Amino acid sequence: MLSVLAPVAGATVGLEEVPDPVFAQGMVGPGTAIEPRHEAQEAVAPIAGKVVKLHHHAFVVQGENGRGVLVHLGIDTVKLDGAGFESLVAEGDEVEAGQPLIRWNPAEVVRAGLSPIVPVVALDAGGDVVSRTGTGEVERGGRLFQWT
Amino acid sequence: MAERRVRIESRVGLHARPAAMFVSAAAAFDGDVRVAKAGGESVSAKSILAVMSLGARNGDEIVVTAEGEGAEALLDRLAEIANTD
Repeated sequence: MLSVLAPVAGATVGLEEVPDPVFAQGMVGPGTAIEPRHEAQEAVAPIAGKVVKLHHHAFVVQGENGRGVLVHLGIDTVKLDGAGFESLVAEGDEVEAGQPLIRWNPAEVVRAGLSPIVPVVALDAGGDVVSRTGTGEVERGGRLFQWT
Repeated sequence: MAERRVRIESRVGLHARPAAMFVSAAAAFDGDVRVAKAGGESVSAKSILAVMSLGARNGDEIVVTAEGEGAEALLDRLAEIANTD
């Protein structure tokens, strides 16, 4: 069982609240989403492992048994071309769960007219292998869901 | 086996949204579907982790192969997804 930690602090709202049908319908995978606090912050690794993909605004960490977790900072944030995002690690780095990976400010994303919501998705996982995620406030690094 | 070379027009490359659509289409196909960056190792096109990890960026050329009935139609669809933002 893999504990997936919250990459950001905020309100857990569920994937269905993500304003992108590909996430909302679970096409990327099962998981949840966090409405982050609108303040400058560092998003942390949800699990320990290798950063197999790093974009300005998103990353995938692959951990034990090859399981990969995608964290996407905001929706359509690719349009910002990295403005307001600072990578703190490089692709290929091994990271600890809870290690800061990207510095960003959800308030800036909102000012750009985009949603800062953060989907956290278990890749290549069936919907039934992710524990109920619930809703409510979560602290950064707090347990978000379990991947059995 | 059907093969198609496709240049990625999606601005973000084969990342979250295009990757999910690409993998959903591939996963619905009965036969084997694989994707590689031109000159690189191929991975299963049915794994979103593998497809995202491929790191196919805007402007990269990918090679998609499919084996089975309807392979050409599938490749048409995958090429269309890779070319959509």
